[in-house]
Amino acid sequence: MKQIPVALPSSVIDRRARNWREFNCFERDIATDIRSISSHMHRVAIAFILSPFSWTLAISQESVFSTDFTAAQKLNYTQKGEVNPRDGEVVLNGGHLVFKTDRDGLIGKMKTSNELSVEVWFKAANLKHKGPARLFTFSKNTSERNFTIGQEGDHIEVRLRTTKTGNNGLPGIAAPKKSLKAERTHLVFTRQRNGEARLYLNGKEVAKQRIEGNFSNWNRDFNLIVGDENGGGRAWRGTVYSLCVVDSALNASEIKTLYDSGPGSLLSSAPPEKPELVKNSNEILFETQVTTILTKHCLECHDSASQKGDLDLSKNLKSHTEDGVIVVGKAADSLLWESVESDEMPKDRDPISDAEKKILKDWLNGGGSWTIDFVDPAIYSRPPDVSPTKAQRLTVTEYVRTIRDTFGVDVETQAREWLPADVRADGFSNTAYNLTIDLEHIEGFSNLAGFVAGKIDPASFAKRFTNKRDLTDKTMIALIDAMGRVVLRGPLSGEETALYRGVSTSVASAGGDFDEAIRFVVEAMLQSPRFIYRLEETPEQGRQLLDDYEMASRLSYVIWGSSPDRKLLELADNGDLNHSGQIKAQAARMLNDPKAIERSLDFASDWLHLDRLSHLQPGKEHFPDWDPALASEMRSETLAFFREVVWKEKLPLSSLLNAPFTFVSPALADHYGIPAPVAGKEGLQRVDLSKVVTRGGILTQGSVLTIGGDEASMVTRGLFVLNDLLRGVIKDPPPCVSTVPVPSEPGKTQRMIAMERVASKSCGACHVRFEPLAYGLERFDGLGAFHEKDHFGNPLRDDGEVLFPGTAEPVAYKQVGELMDLLARSDRVKETLTWKLVQFAVGRPLSAADAESVFSIHHASQEAGGRYEDVISAIVQSDLLRYAFAGNSNPSH
Amino acid sequence: MNAPTLNRRKLLKGLGGIAVGLPILEEMLPGTSYGATKKVAEIPVRAFNVFFGLGIPAPVQPGDFSDVLEPLASLKDQLLILREVDQVRCDRSGMNAHFDGASGAFTATPPDGEAKSGGASMDQLVRRSHYPDGLPDGMVSTLVGGTFFRRSRVGRYVHSYNPDGTVAATIQERPRDLFERVFGKIRGSGEQDERVENLKRSVLDSVVGQYKYYIGPNSPLGTVSKEKFKDHLDRIREYEQRAFALDIDDPRAPSMPPPSELKHGGAADPGGEGIDITLDQLRTEWHLMADLYALAIQMDRARFGSLTFLAAGERIRLKGDYHFNGKLVHQFDDSAQLKASGSKGCSHEWWHKFNEKSSNQQLRAHAHMKMNEVAYFLKRLHEGEECREANGKSILENSMLTISTESGDGRHNDVKRELSGVFHAVTGAGGRFKTGQVLNAKAEGIDLYNTMLSAMSVKERLGPKEHQHVNADTIMA
Repeated sequence: MKQIPVALPSSVIDRRARNWREFNCFERDIATDIRSISSHMHRVAIAFILSPFSWTLAISQESVFSTDFTAAQKLNYTQKGEVNPRDGEVVLNGGHLVFKTDRDGLIGKMKTSNELSVEVWFKAANLKHKGPARLFTFSKNTSERNFTIGQEGDHIEVRLRTTKTGNNGLPGIAAPKKSLKAERTHLVFTRQRNGEARLYLNGKEVAKQRIEGNFSNWNRDFNLIVGDENGGGRAWRGTVYSLCVVDSALNASEIKTLYDSGPGSLLSSAPPEKPELVKNSNEILFETQVTTILTKHCLECHDSASQKGDLDLSKNLKSHTEDGVIVVGKAADSLLWESVESDEMPKDRDPISDAEKKILKDWLNGGGSWTIDFVDPAIYSRPPDVSPTKAQRLTVTEYVRTIRDTFGVDVETQAREWLPADVRADGFSNTAYNLTIDLEHIEGFSNLAGFVAGKIDPASFAKRFTNKRDLTDKTMIALIDAMGRVVLRGPLSGEETALYRGVSTSVASAGGDFDEAIRFVVEAMLQSPRFIYRLEETPEQGRQLLDDYEMASRLSYVIWGSSPDRKLLELADNGDLNHSGQIKAQAARMLNDPKAIERSLDFASDWLHLDRLSHLQPGKEHFPDWDPALASEMRSETLAFFREVVWKEKLPLSSLLNAPFTFVSPALADHYGIPAPVAGKEGLQRVDLSKVVTRGGILTQGSVLTIGGDEASMVTRGLFVLNDLLRGVIKDPPPCVSTVPVPSEPGKTQRMIAMERVASKSCGACHVRFEPLAYGLERFDGLGAFHEKDHFGNPLRDDGEVLFPGTAEPVAYKQVGELMDLLARSDRVKETLTWKLVQFAVGRPLSAADAESVFSIHHASQEAGGRYEDVISAIVQSDLLRYAFAGNSNPSH
Repeated sequence: MNAPTLNRRKLLKGLGGIAVGLPILEEMLPGTSYGATKKVAEIPVRAFNVFFGLGIPAPVQPGDFSDVLEPLASLKDQLLILREVDQVRCDRSGMNAHFDGASGAFTATPPDGEAKSGGASMDQLVRRSHYPDGLPDGMVSTLVGGTFFRRSRVGRYVHSYNPDGTVAATIQERPRDLFERVFGKIRGSGEQDERVENLKRSVLDSVVGQYKYYIGPNSPLGTVSKEKFKDHLDRIREYEQRAFALDIDDPRAPSMPPPSELKHGGAADPGGEGIDITLDQLRTEWHLMADLYALAIQMDRARFGSLTFLAAGERIRLKGDYHFNGKLVHQFDDSAQLKASGSKGCSHEWWHKFNEKSSNQQLRAHAHMKMNEVAYFLKRLHEGEECREANGKSILENSMLTISTESGDGRHNDVKRELSGVFHAVTGAGGRFKTGQVLNAKAEGIDLYNTMLSAMSVKERLGPKEHQHVNADTIMA
């Protein structure tokens, strides 16, 4: 984001003042000339420009620090009654104007900043207005508003709705009586995020009051009206010269400057700076469309690994200009186009559609832009669009932790029994689209809510928020607000407070007491969508910076898998959370909390699918001596290992592949054939593996090795390495191909069987990409024990080659330890670990549109050391975490 | 009266005036032989408290059945209206005037905290005296209902209390709730469980309210999430049906009334700011509530309890044309006429603006309308064959119905203490009281109430034991 700090020297103000008339008189459909005013932190969120020809509204679509107005629009308004627009002013004589326009931009900005300045230059026709008469209002009717500037006789009154006021924005702030005269007047109302509200008339502060709360309950469907209330009845008469709303609180000196500068000075007429064009259309076409077509239709045979016909279409095609594969700017002369147009290619596959052909043709004719290192199927085989931000149900694990951290009640047993288990999708069990809801959930949540409400001590729980113990409005509303802020992870709207107040009054009217009311309010809150889901306001288009409470929840669930703590909520209260400096500081603090360890183990468990081990049932014919307790120990081994690498040794994540130690019991050590831990200690003990060349790293642990089944399938193990460590993409096997594992036999090992598949014409093109990745693991049997020979006496090998995606030449290794070192050093593996963590953090599969953000995270975290905490810190500071997306936007822009 | 009524009621007009908007079954008519409701020669003892919020300042009350009391004129012979009643023992400095005034109605004692009364209400003392071993099987021991919105303190809307000051029964605020209380039973639940189940339903109501918001037009969520929440809400409804399925244990029960379209629970009282409501909306729901309550009495499912029409200090911004006997009485538009919004635009401001020297036009109109709605309920117990009992008199005539408002707020002759208005009336209770007049009682409320209890053969008395009881003979027939 470009930052343009603009001081406000008097010369600029003078120039702007001079330009005001010119500015007023411009006649354009789109007012692109509007500029922000003054200091680096003030942005005009919305401006009404009065001209004799049209009213124009400009809404800044950019976020913090921007001064560009990219989406100004001609105002769509309804004029009612007597309204006389003239040059630079509009005279309201009983009539009013209702603006039906995009209020999302305005609302979004206000909700984000929780600050506001409203500037009005006006002249009241008289000092008898009552109601107060609405000079400028953003409201629904006489009792529901976001804000209203009104005139009550000889003074101005302002109502501003926050989460702490009534729907009517009361109590408001009023200027002293007799402070208004029927002459041209400059009015500015400001409200800082800390609740300080001020009213200025003609450059001087005339009233000050605290208006607590924030704007999260502002309603986007209210109308912006000049001259009356929505629905009428509060007409204001007089002249309006200019109106401006800013999503920050101007300070006294700025307001004095504005007053001195005259109407319209909040708007600059400086010409817009042309935004830097980051990418041209051909580049965008390449990144969003061509890459997908190449991945879908070409790379199976023409990537770096296959290169059929010596053609690698995953790399910059401009290297193929000499051989005529492409001719820049001339699709018709390009061999690529010729073979595609004639359906000669793709060979033996479905032809490319006409629409896709047109894209390729347009791209070639437009210059054949190439902006990336190589076309990575891991990125471009996914849909190019951003996933829209979705309401994300708490996983069972998150639910249990949230209850524990909010109420101090352990519901682990009950939640696992009463709620359906979350099913893994796209590699993780917290994938939002798969966090469905069924009747069993409703019943489970209801029962759990009752269980928790029954477990808490309502008196001491309530005492966290108030010492009062009565059921009056005053006490209960304040208590419900305070409880709700913690339980529901952010302030309640007035409507929500009223709903819970309804529950407490129901208890009271059934003869219940304070304690019972607390229990039922808790029970209601625990079934609220705001508790069960993580909710974020989703923009209709583009992206929107999360408000501070939404950010608090994102931070806490990403880092802890649980609800925000007091510190995060306090920062959100102060509007001091969703900026990178604070996020970084909070991430550092939170990563020092034991809850961060719990969450990291959730990740490890999900990523490596460790729950699978609780269902491990090896065939008795192969493994007659199997002890089921070992499966549980294998799971514990990997988690202990992960914990040691990440939290105790604080090693880079890639060390998970080759760190020379592990945690075993004597029985597991015996199973592995490695030195037993120190005798006499219970549980798993750390053992040094620096002298055990065959072990070290997760791929040599039973928890992962068992994914190959009893036969230690090369296919399954190879696919694990490809998918979960190298982020490779492989298509499903074609239909009619038997996928039944081929058992070993005397004279034929699993590796030999695999090598046959790799050499086969029909299977080899795909199998060459993943089976060799498992060659080095052949000496581990289906349960992870190490053998020199299989059970037929066939000698086993652990040498092989790794072909990293995007590369053409395989790298050889002599034994399994070398393979682990190769993987640990691989940038591709490091990248993949970042991708996996990002996916777990955002709770959805990543798309091509996320790639740029993920690479930024990756590079930042690698520079910081590549540790778990580095990756998490980079993730939470990234735009992927700080914004909500409409689904048609780019996370990086 | 020209208020619209539910169309379905018109079907019932020929059935003798049980103006209930529900299908009538043969068994619903009096004279059937179902259980406890079998019509017997003996007239049961009944006592009900009828409350309306924001009463009538003494100077506005006429000495006859005219002016604001005009709607009661057709019930003149069935009512004894009492003026000049002091309620000094209910008045507490520092308490909310609406609240302590309302708590004193029917109890003659100040409240004991915000959720308890200071003692029993009259209906409960009568019940305990006449049915010491409980009511016959199949009856609702105490039926408490009402159409109201302001709910910051229980005393504003519940008007039936046990001697220890706790509410005598959970109030039913939707017609459907009242229906279920009278005719249904949550499957497999006892009375205590039923109370908890009812509270759990109020919890579920709040949950449903939130999901509705998130799938509604003001939802901050995107399309995908909204769809997800629609599914969630469907599941909640399915759960609700399963968890709270009702057994209708009376074969004569009418079919379930339609869901209420008014605001209830917390939404009905958004922080004391008041709600917008039309006269039609208010009357439609109140009439259904009054019809059902009256039906429960006619079918002898309830003999004690209270019914509330608007809470004490009620905050509504009422709108709509009010007709009485075919003539337009007033055009309600509180907010516009008060030139204010929020709580300042609510009708209860007219009480704050009361001035003896002014016409108090809006206050009078509201009071007139309230008398009309109280009369609506009373007539449901008086008009028609089904209200006729063995002695030839109506249920209304045979029962003790006390009618009051926020009358416990002070002295009758101190207008400043009577901002909330006063009103006291009682029915004949089987010929015990001197109906057919507006009587200047010149007595303390506690003595009047205790005189009524005495007339009902109840030995217990309201108020502190040291109170020297003065019998108010003037009310006795």
